[in-house]
Parts: sequence; structure tokens; C-alpha cells
Amino acid sequence: MKKRYALQWAALALTTGLCTSTAWAEQTTLRVFVGPNQRPDLQQKLFADYNKANPGVKVEIETGGATSELQRQYLSTVLNAKDSAIDLFLIDIVNPAQYASKGWIEPLDKYVGGPAVLRTDYLPVYQTSNIIDGKVMAMPSQGDAMFMYYRKDLLAKHGVAEPKTWDDLAAGAKKILAAEGKPDLQGLSIQGAPIEGAVCTFLLPYWGQGKQFNDAGGKLTLDKAAAVKGLNTWLSMVDQGVIKKNVAEVKTPDTVNEFKAGQVVFAINWGFAFDRFKDDADSKVKDNVGVMPLPAMTGGKSATCMGGWQWAMNAFSKNKDEAGKLIKFLSSKQASAFVAREGSILPVFQSVYSDAEVNKVVPWFKDALPVVLAAQGRPMVNDYGQVSDIMRTTTSAILARTKTPEAGVDEIAARVGRLMR
Amino acid sequence: MLAKLRDPSEKALAVLLLAPAFVLLLMIVVYPIGKLVYNSLFAIDKGGAFLGLQNYIDVWQDPLFWNATQNTLLITLITVPGALLAGLALALLANLPFKRKWPVRLSLLLPWALPLSFSGLIFAWFFHTEYGVVNDILSRLGLQSEPTSWLLKPRWAFAAICLTVIWKTASFMALILLAGLQMIPKSLYEAAEVDGATPWQQFWQITLPLLLPSIVVALIFRTITALQTFDIPYTMTKGGPGEATETLAMLIHKYTIDYSDIGFGSTLAVFMFVISLAVTGVYLHHIGKNAQ
Repeated sequence: MKKRYALQWAALALTTGLCTSTAWAEQTTLRVFVGPNQRPDLQQKLFADYNKANPGVKVEIETGGATSELQRQYLSTVLNAKDSAIDLFLIDIVNPAQYASKGWIEPLDKYVGGPAVLRTDYLPVYQTSNIIDGKVMAMPSQGDAMFMYYRKDLLAKHGVAEPKTWDDLAAGAKKILAAEGKPDLQGLSIQGAPIEGAVCTFLLPYWGQGKQFNDAGGKLTLDKAAAVKGLNTWLSMVDQGVIKKNVAEVKTPDTVNEFKAGQVVFAINWGFAFDRFKDDADSKVKDNVGVMPLPAMTGGKSATCMGGWQWAMNAFSKNKDEAGKLIKFLSSKQASAFVAREGSILPVFQSVYSDAEVNKVVPWFKDALPVVLAAQGRPMVNDYGQVSDIMRTTTSAILARTKTPEAGVDEIAARVGRLMR
Repeated sequence: MLAKLRDPSEKALAVLLLAPAFVLLLMIVVYPIGKLVYNSLFAIDKGGAFLGLQNYIDVWQDPLFWNATQNTLLITLITVPGALLAGLALALLANLPFKRKWPVRLSLLLPWALPLSFSGLIFAWFFHTEYGVVNDILSRLGLQSEPTSWLLKPRWAFAAICLTVIWKTASFMALILLAGLQMIPKSLYEAAEVDGATPWQQFWQITLPLLLPSIVVALIFRTITALQTFDIPYTMTKGGPGEATETLAMLIHKYTIDYSDIGFGSTLAVFMFVISLAVTGVYLHHIGKNAQ
């Protein structure tokens, strides 16, 4: 008797389920993954706008993974399983090549209009980072770059000009540290812990000598002597007391918090940090923050690391047409200006940097454009996860002085060389 | 078929009753291990080509594999006896006739109840160069003039991780040993006292021999989990500085999750499986001999 009831219940549940799903099918629901640092609140507003214009499309948001690495881990688990649950996602600028090589993301040419679209007003860096084998694999959403922040008040007080080279910076910082005489004041804060930021810590003084890490074909073109010289620049600043001794423990938030607490003269960090310095209630340096291009190596040119986030489409999505239309909207100039105004996020269009409405809210973007135009992409390789891991672990070990710069650079050349040939 | 089921013989009933467990084991043990070995023969996510034993040769020649294996075995060799000694001391302490037993038992349980990664993060703070309590105490005592970067020096980082693992796992050891201690009849100690045995003699002649089965059980559990050490080094040093504190489980995670190289990661996992199996085999053999 009981069995028969159970069977009837199961049948009923199945029928109801089928009916409901048929009713739902009339509306397309797109599921979008946005990391917690990419302002899901603002994305939600964009989705609401899109829904108003396209009532047939509902956008659901999913978020998770505090860092770029954790988000990559989550998405790679989903995509390895060929899961269609997420239609669109934001990925780090370093990832399109890797995702494309795995067949995880859909080429977007059909939806956004081919590579030519990235050669218009978008920042030039996207032509290399987002076009893979002649196809647009991701569309720019949010810009970011490593900036040099400094204490305007301290530089003015001690008559130190904005440094143009790392040597100038070391000399200026030493002068300020000696005159201030505070034991907890640091000259320069960089990221030396084995996190993604340490990849930039390796590249900044290397690029600053006008050297390239890879050629257009993605082959490693590491100049070992220049790389050693770059790393020695950091180590010599540690020896001079400009950078603190335990730099190999410093992560991105440490730099932010110590600069905010007034313990740092010069700090290298991503664009988001500026708002934290300026607006956070516990910031002691609110009105004294300056931004400038990164110094160059003597005889070289200023260079910085490009960051930021790109929209990409799941190759296994079941709603590609609708997802393509949404990507076009999300990577538009209006969307970029909106997140720039509301969230002080660096625009992906050159013209938005001098947009009057945007500048009313974020006046420093005018100064940011030259920095962003000089920004370079980190190596675009299929195995970026591995390349990044080798570079950041080795750089951190060199800064912890458990490896010499020579041995570390040899190791990077050998291990990364195998992945980039 | 139905008629048979209504009147099952003993044998059929046994098969029927065992079937769910058997199917479950097949699904959650046999299938994943089989799939692991299968994956290790292919270049998964790198075109999917059949590689034969190439992944095994690559692992064998990879210095990172040997480094991680060495670290894993070293952590096991240091932390298992360490946790046993600390756990035994804690269990003996908790077994003393306190008026109120719960404060002792609660403090015994607390480290065990904390998530592993939590313990790692807490100890990472303890050993931090600037904010850590370890450096603070040492400087206050005048034992060092400049803070030490414990987690940036390979040997110290390794020692800090071992200490954390011992702290975290000693309470689990203590729990098992405490249960064993309470099984020992009080009358034995009373008789020993009448015979004039010292507490030291009582410990060696009564407590330890009767506790041995519990010790073996605790050792087996602890050794297997020690071979899989991941959370504490991952949260404390991420394997650094360089690869000085990277364990085998971390290397597997790095290849499969960070590098998405599932073929190579699976091969590493097969190696770890074999090592775990060998160690468990040694223990089981030992127990078997003892039982006889």
C-alpha cells in the first residue's frame, strides 16, 4: 500500500517539475559570475538596466573567491566539468589565453564584431591580451594598473621631487627616513609574498630597463642579466633600509594598510588602493596621497603592470546568443563610464579617462591615463597559472634571501622556458 | 525472481544485505581510484593524448616531487612521535582525579575542534615578523635585538609548521589514549601499590603495556593523516620560502587545481596513494602479528 503511494507521489512530483520547467523556458535566465572585488553591487545595477530594456532576459549573479587565484580555481573546476550552469564570467586580464587554450571560452567575434572592435577607443593593451589567434576571446570590463603612490606632504616637507628613476627614489626615501627618524616609517612598500602581485614585482624593474619578457609569439625572451639587475635593485633597497627586511611576507593588503597608517613614503599598488587611502575612515593620509608613473631604471623607461577584468562566455553555455548580447552591453562605453563614476574603477576606454562626468567624481583619472597607456600585459601563455606560480614563488624566495637572484633567474628561465617556447 | 526474494536462502540474504554497502564502496572508493589511475595515463587538458607511462617517468624525474616527498616524510617522522608524546602527557594529565573534570577535557578538545586551516592561520600570526607574539615575547625577554622572520627561513618555517601540527593533533591522540587509560582497571594499580611499586614502575609495568593497543590505533590514524598534510603548511607558508615546506598533497593540489594539469596531478596522487598504502600495510602487518 505504502509503496503505491510513494510511486504516486513521485509521479506527481515529476509532472509538476516538468510543467514548471516548461513555464520557465519562456524567459532566458543568464547566470553570471563576478568576484567580490569586482563590485557585484554595481554589476547588479547594470543587469537591472539591461533587464529593463530586455524583459525576456533575467540575469542572476553568483560571486565567490576573494582573490584572482581563487576565482580561477573555482572557474576551472566548473569548466573542467563542462558545466553549463554559468553563462558569463569576469576573468583576470592574465587568463584569456589559458581559458581559450582549454576550449573553455567561446570566441566573441560573432557577437561583438571581430578584432577591429578592440582597435578603436579601448586601451591598446587589450589587443594583445584579449585577441587570441586572431579571435576576440574576452571583452574588457574593468581596467587596473600598478601605480606609484607617495606622500605629498613628506616629499614637500623635505624638498624631494617626484623620482624619475629607482635610484632617485631610493635616495629621496633615505633622505626622508633620516630626517623623520621614525623607526616604523618605510621608504618603499612592494609586494614580496608569493602572491600574483609578486609577478609584477619581478617584472617592473625588468621592463623598466626596456626589456621584454616574451615576443609576440609568446616565446620567452628573458634577458637574465637584466632580470638579475632588476631583482638586485629591490635587494639593495632592502640593504639600504628603504624596503623593510621581511618584504617576502608583504601582501597587497599589507601595503594598503601600512600606507593608510602613515607608515610608508612610497607604495606600489593597484588602482583600487587610491580610494582606500583617500576615503577610508581610518586613513591617516587622506589629503596627502599623490600618484605618479612608476620610476624607470637608470637609462630605461617607465613601465607598469596592467591588471583588470574581462568578460568571457562559457563555451558550454546553453544561452550563447543572449549571453553575447549581454557581453556587448557590459563592455560598452556607457557601462565603463558607469562603473568609473560609481565605483572609481579605471575605465577600459581611453576617452572615458577625460570624460567630464567621470572627472567630476574621480579627478585623478586624468593623471592615470599616461600610466595606463604605458602598462604592459603579463605574459600571455596557455599555462599562465604555472608561469605565474613559478615567477611569484621564486621572486618571493629571492626577496627572502633563500635563493640568490642569479640562481632564481636561472630557475625561472629553465622552468618558464619549457612552458613558453 | 520475486518468489525467490520472498523466501531467500541465507546466502541470498547475505548477498542482498551486503549489496548496498558493496555498491557504495564501488562508487566512492573503487571508481575514483580507477579513474585516477586512468587519468594518470593521459595528457588531460593538454590535448588528451594517451601518454602511457610518460607521466610516471616525468614525476620520477621531477625534483619538486622528491622535494615534496622528502618534506612529507619528514613532517610525518617528526610530528607523529611528537604528537604521541604530547598526547600521552595530556591524556595522563586529564586522567588525574580532578574534582572538576570538564575544564581539563574541554581544553583537551579545543585544538582538535578547530578547523586545520584555522590553526594554520593562527600560528602564521604567532610567527609573523612584525605582528607575531613569538617575536614580541623574545624581544621582551631580551633574547633577540631584531625580530626574526621565522616563516621566511626554510628550517625555521619547517619547525614552525611541525610545532603547529603537533599542537593541533596531540589532542586527538590524547582523546584516544584517554579512552584507553580509562579501560585499565583501578585494581591493578591498587595491587601494585600494596606490592610497593613506585609511580614510575606502575607507568612502565601497567599503564604502558595495557595502553599499547590504543597507541597503535592512534599511530595508524595519525600517520595516515600526517602523510596527507596540506592545510597547515598551505595556510602558514603556501609551501614557501621557495618550495621549502611544500608537501606532496600541496604539490598535487598545485598541479590539478592551479595548473589544471589533471594528468600529471593524478600521477602524483597515484604515488601518494602507493606511499599511504605501504605505510598502512606495515601497521596492519604489525597488528596482525600482535593479534596472533
